[in-house]
Amino acid sequence: MALPKLAHTPAAHDKLRALGILALNGMFDEMDAVGVLRQAATDVLPGDLAIVSSFGADSAVLLHLVAQVDPSLPVYFLETGKHFAETLDYVETLKKHLGLINVHAIHPNAADVQRFDPNGDLWETDPDSCCHIRKTEPLEPITEQYGGWVTGRKRFQTKERGVLPHFELTSDDRIKVNPLAYFNDADVNQYKIDHGLPEHPLFAKGYKSIGCAPCTSVVAEGEDPRAGRWRGLNKKECGIHFDFNGAIASPMTAATRHTLWKDGAFIADPFHEWADDSDPATASYKHVPLAVFLANRDTFLANPHPLGLLVVPGDRIEDVEADLGRFASIAIKFPAFSDGRGYSTARLLSERFNYSGEIRAVGDVLQDQIPLMRRCGINALVVTHEPTRAALLENRLPEVAIFYQPVGTTEVPVGTRPFLRRVS
Amino acid sequence: MYRYDEFDATFVAGRTAQFSDQVKRRLSGELTEDQFRPLRLMNGLYLQLHAYMLRIAVPYGTLSSKQMRMFAHIARTYDRGYGHFTTRQNIQFNWPKLKDIPKILEELASVEMHAIQTSGNCIRNVTADHFAGAAADEIIDPRPIAEILRQWSSLHPEFSYLPRKFKIAITGAPNDRAAIRFHDIGLQAATNAAGEIGWEVWVGGGLGRTPMIGKLINSFVPNEHLLAYLESIMRVYNRYGRRDNKYKARIKILVHEEGLETIKGQVEAEFAEVRGGVLTLPAEEVDRITAYFAPPQFTAQPATKIDVAYQSIIDPAYGRWLDHNINSHREAGYASVTISLKPVGGAPGDATDKQMDDIADIAQRYAFDELRVTHEQNLVLPHVAVADLRAVYEALVATGLAEGNTGLITDMICCPGLDFCALANARSIPLAQEISRKFAQPERQAEIGDLKIKISGCINACGHHHVGHIGILGVEKKGGELYQITLGGDATESASVGKIIGPGFEAEAVPGAIETLVDTYISKRESAGETFIQAYRRLGEAPFKEALYGAA
Ligand code: SF4
Ligand code: SF4
Repeated sequence: MALPKLAHTPAAHDKLRALGILALNGMFDEMDAVGVLRQAATDVLPGDLAIVSSFGADSAVLLHLVAQVDPSLPVYFLETGKHFAETLDYVETLKKHLGLINVHAIHPNAADVQRFDPNGDLWETDPDSCCHIRKTEPLEPITEQYGGWVTGRKRFQTKERGVLPHFELTSDDRIKVNPLAYFNDADVNQYKIDHGLPEHPLFAKGYKSIGCAPCTSVVAEGEDPRAGRWRGLNKKECGIHFDFNGAIASPMTAATRHTLWKDGAFIADPFHEWADDSDPATASYKHVPLAVFLANRDTFLANPHPLGLLVVPGDRIEDVEADLGRFASIAIKFPAFSDGRGYSTARLLSERFNYSGEIRAVGDVLQDQIPLMRRCGINALVVTHEPTRAALLENRLPEVAIFYQPVGTTEVPVGTRPFLRRVS
Repeated sequence: MYRYDEFDATFVAGRTAQFSDQVKRRLSGELTEDQFRPLRLMNGLYLQLHAYMLRIAVPYGTLSSKQMRMFAHIARTYDRGYGHFTTRQNIQFNWPKLKDIPKILEELASVEMHAIQTSGNCIRNVTADHFAGAAADEIIDPRPIAEILRQWSSLHPEFSYLPRKFKIAITGAPNDRAAIRFHDIGLQAATNAAGEIGWEVWVGGGLGRTPMIGKLINSFVPNEHLLAYLESIMRVYNRYGRRDNKYKARIKILVHEEGLETIKGQVEAEFAEVRGGVLTLPAEEVDRITAYFAPPQFTAQPATKIDVAYQSIIDPAYGRWLDHNINSHREAGYASVTISLKPVGGAPGDATDKQMDDIADIAQRYAFDELRVTHEQNLVLPHVAVADLRAVYEALVATGLAEGNTGLITDMICCPGLDFCALANARSIPLAQEISRKFAQPERQAEIGDLKIKISGCINACGHHHVGHIGILGVEKKGGELYQITLGGDATESASVGKIIGPGFEAEAVPGAIETLVDTYISKRESAGETFIQAYRRLGEAPFKEALYGAA
């Protein structure tokens, strides 16, 4: 049952095509990935199908399928200019190992990079725009040449992908093929073992979902594998997995609105406030009030998504000591700058419980308190007070740079605390 | 005396720059008064009734002539020619201009002084026995530990926004001259079974609206663990102290409401965690700081004996001064001299720029360059050779500060009251002046003997009225000023809080009422040796009450 080959200008969306997709999806059982790809390459879209691969931690599986079906299928790699060196090595390793003969790197437009990201820090200030110029734009002219695409997406990866089918019709009437849609984490690992596939060099170091270097971090045990991507940034999906022509933020518009200050810049905040109707079982990227967490502890522990914790004055951080590893971020509320309880909470977290994730101050965060907050272990701030924002950006916090008392684990160099000086 | 090292100097310079920036932002309008308030309060700058008031720390009450001269200079240059020594062993200037504050702080830094944490909800300037390092009854000089506490508490990142202000007092002597039982934390030197010297820790004392006597939370903390122990108390207080009502926010209320045992349990649990950690105080560090407080080079003094009785006959004023203003010294041939800032009719604790300069000269010439501020608002020359007493006396006479009234009825503690303080209900300085005029006769004062009158202009009790043998508290009644009288307070090791004995008095009637109380005491005392407080304890309030208000 071959579908007609798609023209460059897609035909009008019609019911029959939609039904055809439905039928295609019905033909393959959950595990038959190679069957899906073979069908797509030889029957549905012969000569009109390409693959985009990130050459990330899981990419070997899809590329192995490609090698089995047809090693000359076109494979595109988005060379954003921001990849880990290990990823670039891995492209070569896989090409060789699998015998792929049609791999192309797509580079961003140099003029765009020069114009919108002259300092190479757009990923930090406005990741949507960064992806736009480094991924979406360069890919567009390529996608136009093909009637269909193979992706490595899996439904288990994030909540938004929970209903991913093998075949999808995009709004511009192209077909997306997802041979691995039904694979879960274990299947992927088993497949890699069964076929002796080389691992991405960073996989062993705790990276589970690997994209560009600045936007990828290590994922904690039990955390959503993609939580490591754009950690700390308000971004979950790279634009290219959505509609290729979809509305994606234009460069440089969002930068000024960010209120989360971290590592020397205002960046997009992936976290949202907990709402009364938020669901403990499915919530994702929310700072759960400590009391709510305790009341629904089991449900939260079963929730696979990245979560944060909100600690307000009066909460006892000891009460969640055992579960601190569950949280990617802990927000300490300062309802008024004069309420100093949060400082104790922060020190307990960082010094006593060795919590190493993000500790952010929220609430009445003003420049004069920030140096104290930092000394107590707070490493991120949500700041709305304009003079304070300006002071942060201009790096002129009113700060006394040396300290008498030892606080924190490493902050004060030995020798600057008078009463800790030892005769050596 | 402690001398800043490079680190201290950099720290104070950094803090001065930081505060100068805050003042600049206030002047430019970037900071609102609301936002500026806690910042200026962190640096001793209050907004008073008429102007800003700057409070400068005199750490544990010890200062040098050079520093005293700086106060004189500031009084002359930026204020109205005088300064006011406080019950916290600090000095206050009542009329500085906001724009001058950064300059004043810079000048202070040049003599190793600052205004850090003399206000605000943080750990305040640590106070100590004003005879520290000199008193004959001392177990150990508490100032090295006080200095270490000063350093530990300076801009402490965790304890800069406590529920309320926090005051620590320390004494190394069994006779408590630092009122440690009326502080948030009081430390008193103690010796353990092994003969080692450590500290009794008292917690939850205080005056204010709810006077409380501190409770013993630990009877022996060695130097080594003192910081860890104090940090544990601070953390418990920071986390659990009440913040819903500023009048219930002091640690005394936490201790009172939760009970000493509960707080002790929390503190011990915290201490178990932090003990032995980074706050452990190495003995070398204590030794290093102690070296700064080494006694001056006392020289063997010829056996000078002053016949006070004889002097009293040929020069009664000098005799009184010898009688009341000299404290015995641990070094033979030396004495400590109290310089009374309570001349009859003067404002308690005030000194002019000229007087401060003169005192600095005297200290330099006769007292190893050292001075103390007492919590009773006097000054002390801690180490004076007995042979020099007459010369010191003459010099004090010349500057008008030779009143021989220490510990007597005219040596009153008095808060600024309605003349300066925005919170006051009533005037207190004029009242103190009235009372001191009433008892101006030196013979009369000598007859009365030791009697401490303490006056506060409102319930905040800055004048420590609760611990006055006779306490006077200004209250507001129907738009007028009224004064309540309390009896039986005591700030020393036999601590007690005074009791209100009856309805208040109009200002004009107060000196008369005090006289009635004094007369009652004199007529009922067993001997001239029984002091007012001893007689009150023996007799109870009844005879005093009856004398004031008539028989029940
Ligand atoms: S993943 Fe990060 S670096 Fe890569 S294109 Fe997107 S924003 Fe830029
Ligand atoms: S006791 Fe009251 S009037 Fe006196 S200084 Fe304190 S707050 Fe002001």
